[in-house]
Amino acid sequence: MLEVKNLHASVDKNEILRGIDLKVNAGEVHAIMGPNGSGKSTLAHVLAGRESYQVTEGEVIYEGRDLLAMPPELRAREGVFLAFQYPVEIPGVSNMYFLRAALNAIRKHRGLDELDAMDFLTLVREKMKSLDMDQTLMNRPVNDGFSGGEKKRNEIFQMAVLEPKLAILDETDSGLDIDALKTVADGINALRSPDRAIILVTHYQRLLNYVVPDYVHVLSEGRIVKSGGKELALELEEKGYVWLEESAQPVKSGASLR
Amino acid sequence: MISRPRFGLEVKNSTAQVEHEATTSKIGEDQIFFFCQRGLSGEDVINMIVNGFCKQVFRELPMEFAVEAQKLLGVSLEGSVG
Repeated sequence: MLEVKNLHASVDKNEILRGIDLKVNAGEVHAIMGPNGSGKSTLAHVLAGRESYQVTEGEVIYEGRDLLAMPPELRAREGVFLAFQYPVEIPGVSNMYFLRAALNAIRKHRGLDELDAMDFLTLVREKMKSLDMDQTLMNRPVNDGFSGGEKKRNEIFQMAVLEPKLAILDETDSGLDIDALKTVADGINALRSPDRAIILVTHYQRLLNYVVPDYVHVLSEGRIVKSGGKELALELEEKGYVWLEESAQPVKSGASLR
Repeated sequence: MISRPRFGLEVKNSTAQVEHEATTSKIGEDQIFFFCQRGLSGEDVINMIVNGFCKQVFRELPMEFAVEAQKLLGVSLEGSVG
């Protein structure tokens, strides 16, 4: 589904990503871990098409197409979803209105009929129930005055409604208390399916106790320095990142697992 | 970032002419990227953000002004995004 080859990217001429190789197949959950400043969030944003990051080298193939050539809205319509680490507040635009516009833009792109208000409401109620979300959030402006936990839950809720093919979650677990973490994890698990891939960007093993990844990659200084199965995350939790930075040679390629 | 202007003028001279000028800044890149990442683009994004922002002000206005202002906003936004 997704193949990242030798990806280099910079912000304001500072090179952050220095040759990422990663292959993600449909049905897989990949966790990307690493210390602060290792490039995790940059990778997530580059895949989503943020313009402030310049790709200087390498390529990204998504479902056989050149992902980097697509503008961000096209990537979204083609099924790429980014759950933001810091969800943006949109004053005066209700969650309901926003999400229906987004869903219909995606449906239109895929040649499906747009949902009317009633059908949309039915869909939303069902999804909100499964995520244990307060229904009044729907009528409030997008993320405006939401608590940290509500914002993160709202990202997962949007993901549940938009049903992406490739979901990238940028530190969705940070700032959540244990109950909210479980709810968010349940939401992610509910989306696991053979035709969908999920990339979890996270600092901690904590989320991975609830959403068990198929693969774990460790990012350090813009490269994937180690890849492994779910046990790698446990090892990291125990030994910290310093262990890897000391022992691992930067892997140039071969970080992809197959 | 959109900022909500807050101002007040207290005029004690009954013959004075008083004007007020307000400035707003460009719509935040973060907000636009968020809309695009959800599949929305171009004029729709600007319309939603500006309408949302203005709605907060319009609802403070008397009904007849609010309706008028809403219409004017629709007209002035049309075609403003290339």
